Amino acid sequence: MEGLVVLAAPLSAFLLIGLLGRYIGDKASGIITIVAGAISFLFSIVVSFKSLHSPVQIKLYEFLPLEGYTLTVGFYFDALSSITAAVVTFVATLIFVYSIGYMHNEFGKWVYKFYAYLSLFLFAMLLIVLSDNLLGIFFGWEGVGLASYLLIGYYHNQKKATNASLEAFVMNRIGDWLFIFGIIATFLIFKTLDIVEIFERVPTTESALIGLATLLLFGGAVGKSGQLPLHTWLPNAMAGPTPVSALLHAATMVAAGVYMVARLYPLFESAPQTLKVVAVIGGLTALFAALAATSHTDMKKIIAFSTMSQLGYMFLALGVGDMGGAMFHLTTHAFFKALLFLAAGSVITAFHHRLYDIYNFGGLKKYMPITYASFTVGALALAGIFPLSGFWSKDRLIGSYYEASFVWGLLGTVVAFLTAYYIFREGFVVFHGEERYKKFSEHEPQEMGAVMTVPMVVLGVMAVVAGFFEGWYMHAVGGEHKEIHLNIALTSVFVGVLGIALAYGVFVKRFLDPERTYEALKALHTTFKEQFFTEKLYHSILAAGYMSYSKVLYLVGERQFIDGIVNGTAYIVQSAGQGLRFLQAGKLNWYALGLAGGFALLAALLVFLIYGGGY
Amino acid sequence: MVRLIIFLIFSAWAIISAVGVITFTNPIYVILWLLSALIAIAGIFFTAGAELVGALQLLIYAVAIAVFYVFVLTAVPWEKAVKKSSHYRMEGVLSLPLVLLLYLEMAIVFFLGITASPEGKIRAFIEKFGNTEVVGSVLFTKYFFAFEVVSLVLLIGMIGAVLIGRKESQTYEDDTT
Amino acid sequence: MKTIPLEAFFIVSMILFGLGVLGLIARRNLITVLMSLELALNAVNVAFVGADYHLGLVEGQIFALFIIALAAAEAAVGLGIIIAIFRYRYVESTDEITDMRG
Repeated sequence: MEGLVVLAAPLSAFLLIGLLGRYIGDKASGIITIVAGAISFLFSIVVSFKSLHSPVQIKLYEFLPLEGYTLTVGFYFDALSSITAAVVTFVATLIFVYSIGYMHNEFGKWVYKFYAYLSLFLFAMLLIVLSDNLLGIFFGWEGVGLASYLLIGYYHNQKKATNASLEAFVMNRIGDWLFIFGIIATFLIFKTLDIVEIFERVPTTESALIGLATLLLFGGAVGKSGQLPLHTWLPNAMAGPTPVSALLHAATMVAAGVYMVARLYPLFESAPQTLKVVAVIGGLTALFAALAATSHTDMKKIIAFSTMSQLGYMFLALGVGDMGGAMFHLTTHAFFKALLFLAAGSVITAFHHRLYDIYNFGGLKKYMPITYASFTVGALALAGIFPLSGFWSKDRLIGSYYEASFVWGLLGTVVAFLTAYYIFREGFVVFHGEERYKKFSEHEPQEMGAVMTVPMVVLGVMAVVAGFFEGWYMHAVGGEHKEIHLNIALTSVFVGVLGIALAYGVFVKRFLDPERTYEALKALHTTFKEQFFTEKLYHSILAAGYMSYSKVLYLVGERQFIDGIVNGTAYIVQSAGQGLRFLQAGKLNWYALGLAGGFALLAALLVFLIYGGGY
Repeated sequence: MVRLIIFLIFSAWAIISAVGVITFTNPIYVILWLLSALIAIAGIFFTAGAELVGALQLLIYAVAIAVFYVFVLTAVPWEKAVKKSSHYRMEGVLSLPLVLLLYLEMAIVFFLGITASPEGKIRAFIEKFGNTEVVGSVLFTKYFFAFEVVSLVLLIGMIGAVLIGRKESQTYEDDTT
Repeated sequence: MKTIPLEAFFIVSMILFGLGVLGLIARRNLITVLMSLELALNAVNVAFVGADYHLGLVEGQIFALFIIALAAAEAAVGLGIIIAIFRYRYVESTDEITDMRG
């Protein structure tokens, strides 16, 4: 029963704040959110220890009895789901604490809505993680989509934010559409939605449909995790408040796709051709997003592309068969990516949410030492430098790539180099160099209060130490423990250091003048920055094309054709009504007579059809 | 045999009361006839072994709903209805063939349907545990969702009745002035 | 056990239902119209319970319970409407409410 508390705490926080938030105030709402997250975390720890070796399935309630199958609401706790739940609630709780500081200057402007959405977000994510059937996962899936829509568009007076939220919603909708078809296909094959039963039936089921079903399910993951080709919403989602970005990118939303594939991994394993697709899409996204991140200048967008790239890594790992490694990287990534986002958010808060471009900052090292240290730890972990957590998880993944094929391994190494480069480019530009912000603001930035720095420090500690649990995690989840390949480890650390050195050389020591290099490589830079023109393609060709197509349809189809039918119908009805007016005497009993007469005729028709026509 | 005789007595009682419901002029007599019909139908339920439904019929229908009708009758001046003719003659005559048609259809469906019906498997349980327990357990397991929906419908109906029946608040009058 | 034939239940149900419909159509007073409706609903219950008795099922009784619940809701709303109409119009007979005339 402890498992239910994990889910109930955020849900009740959501209901409480959503219904009474106006009366209990903004700060109290935030505290309720944090307490609910903390309770959820504590109980998920308890559940993790209980279910580590013996999975528990709780059937809560029979939702809809159907012919041959009963839809139930139930939860499944095994090592994978309960550890993921613990990580999700841990990171989310820290982000909630941080958000008190981040939203502090907005208190009084109905911020309780923000906390209600955050709780809903956490609840929906836990529903995805803990549900024991695909329909429950889909419920959470939609809940996460809804909560992200609300949160990305939280600053609803900004056009940018509402556009971004709409884009996220539409892109997710494409993914969800594929996902529900995947669920239907799975149900067709296995005649059940219960994942435990599906796993039992996988070995004995021979069906050509499995490939299609897994492909469709993966389509849902692509939409939710922002992989190619449904990726454009992810960087644009940075329009929301920074805690939302951190939550979205570290623990909840985008992790859902990876988690879902890992959760259903026995199913995916039985469809090797789908795994190839997963690997190709993951690998391409990893490279693509890393290249895009090297050229962007928005503080948060760089980290967003980094998330995309790291998720690509995880999908590639899933594709080459290293499920445990992918989930472990998801866990460590949750820590250091949340850390990076919180550090970025604290820089943005220091400038009162007005500056976002990294070239507007600079030299913040001495003013914000804790933020600087946190960012550096997060960046080192992301770059995979020994002995931080990123090193252990990433190294394992790159080892798996090399085991699968040399091409994937090479791609992993290249992306590792790019990762180190772009994240330290951001770090060096923001925290070193001249103090460019003086053009924009008079006063000097200050370190944030404890409510924001403490979560960063805790996450920093986790980002350092989480890597040492690799063996334990693999043992629990059931993946095999892999020894570090020494040459691969050395290569990736070397490559990471090389990336850092390049960034250091260019942006601090200026061996290469960034401005002149920019002029020389302008075409390349634009290509990367525009994400290989995919966003333009979607916006100006697909969306705008659809708009003009709709306009043409509106003018021809709607105005001429449908309006003609509608007006004609209205005319016919009107003239018929003039004729039939006498029937509408306004007497209730006449209506009752007509009703009974019509019913009798219908029943006569039915009787005739059933017993007369041999139907 | 005794059961059949009791059933026939209750049936005759119910039908006579029903005739009374649709023929009497004074609404007070009508409600008394309706009450009598409801009690007779509850009796039919008891003879058919459906104790739970019969008891609820008595409790909800014969007490709550009938009392409710009486309350409403006190709120509207039913004396006026006595003075006017209480029936529409033309509609009544017109509805007779309609009702006959309905009878015919129901007869076809019922008596052809009997032969196609399956024999229930629950009878053994009913004999073992008693009707009420079986009805309750099936109601709260298999039809639990429907049960919840019905409770919601009742709630909505209650709110709707309160909203419709209450006196308009001050704001409405403010709007009109 | 089955001393009462199923047909008997159905015949009683039919007669009651027909009388209910007759009252629904021919009655003038709004309250008595509603009462006739209750009669028709009860007739359906008789058929349900009779079928149950004959076939050894409980589904019919469950539906009868639902019908009773819905009849309660219907009576509440219907009588509420009657009171509201009376409060605004001082009428309670169906031939005085002819606003739906086309």
